[in-house]
Amino acid sequence: MNRLIIFSILICGISEIFAETCQKPEVIASAYVTEDATILTNVAFTTQFVLKCSNGVKGITLYAEVDGKSLPAARLSSDNKYQVSWTEDVKKARSGDYNIKLYDDERYAAIRKALRNGEDPNSVKPLVVVVLNNPGIYRGPWINSELLAVLLAALVSYSAFSSKFKLLA
Amino acid sequence: MSGKSKAFTKEEELLLQDFSRNVSTKSSALFYGNAFIVSAIPIWLFWRIHLIDIYANLISFVLVTLASTYALALAYKNTKFVLKHKIAVKREDAVTKEMSRKLAEDKKMSKKEKDERILWKKNEVADYEATTFSIFYNNALFLALVIVSSFYILKTFTPAVNYIFSVGATSALLALLSTGSQ
Repeated sequence: MNRLIIFSILICGISEIFAETCQKPEVIASAYVTEDATILTNVAFTTQFVLKCSNGVKGITLYAEVDGKSLPAARLSSDNKYQVSWTEDVKKARSGDYNIKLYDDERYAAIRKALRNGEDPNSVKPLVVVVLNNPGIYRGPWINSELLAVLLAALVSYSAFSSKFKLLA
Repeated sequence: MSGKSKAFTKEEELLLQDFSRNVSTKSSALFYGNAFIVSAIPIWLFWRIHLIDIYANLISFVLVTLASTYALALAYKNTKFVLKHKIAVKREDAVTKEMSRKLAEDKKMSKKEKDERILWKKNEVADYEATTFSIFYNNALFLALVIVSSFYILKTFTPAVNYIFSVGATSALLALLSTGSQ
């Protein structure tokens, strides 16, 4: 009996080591947004970040959530480098900050459970939040050049017309 | 009038020339030169903006430019004719005043000659103003219509067809409009 208890404590300890959570997570992130919407139909957002944990945990699986959309966070290397990317329709993409909420296994399971039970998934606090700023996509100039040319030509034509009528009056 | 037809005197010839649709060689050269330049301008637009192949469409460029030059020169001529008399009437007082002041010092000059000089000056002023205004008016309309038709109306056509129709139709339209009396 005593042995069984020790064994089970050991098992728990091992599983604890494997499923160790990241303490005091910190991220160093860089991001890129395809801003030129004159030639694109979808805007791509991508961010790369390095996760640092005070307890030195490495290689954990992360799940990301942006505006209610869940995405996988791809692990790029063993030194806790991750990447999250997604695309959005040009018309739907907004400018400003996008909060990328990152969850580890445990928290992600809690969210799924909350969703299953019809509870608010926002009650689960993310492990860490990465902020991606979209400075605003470029949809071309306000007035395109041919419209400007037409407006200027119309202006000159108007002056030609008005002076002709003045002469003929 | 007696039975046999008499040749016009030199003064009558001059008077007729003033009121005819025909223009002097100098004025004609100005019209054709201007019409050619303005007709050739759209080539740049189609070459650089609409990305037309300039060598493949060389024949249509030449033909359309020549036709448009002729049509525009016609438009210039007709517009000038309509405007000239109106301008002559409008500027009459000012020209008469200025010329009278200038000629007042010359005591030797007869009244008839003074009147003739005033008339001649008036004709010159009206001719010059009508010529330049006619060129400005038709150029402004031509370029505006070419831009509108090539970018908006004939947008869906291939550049080659777009060129022929936008420049051809615009110059034809201007020539047609200029034949009106107003």
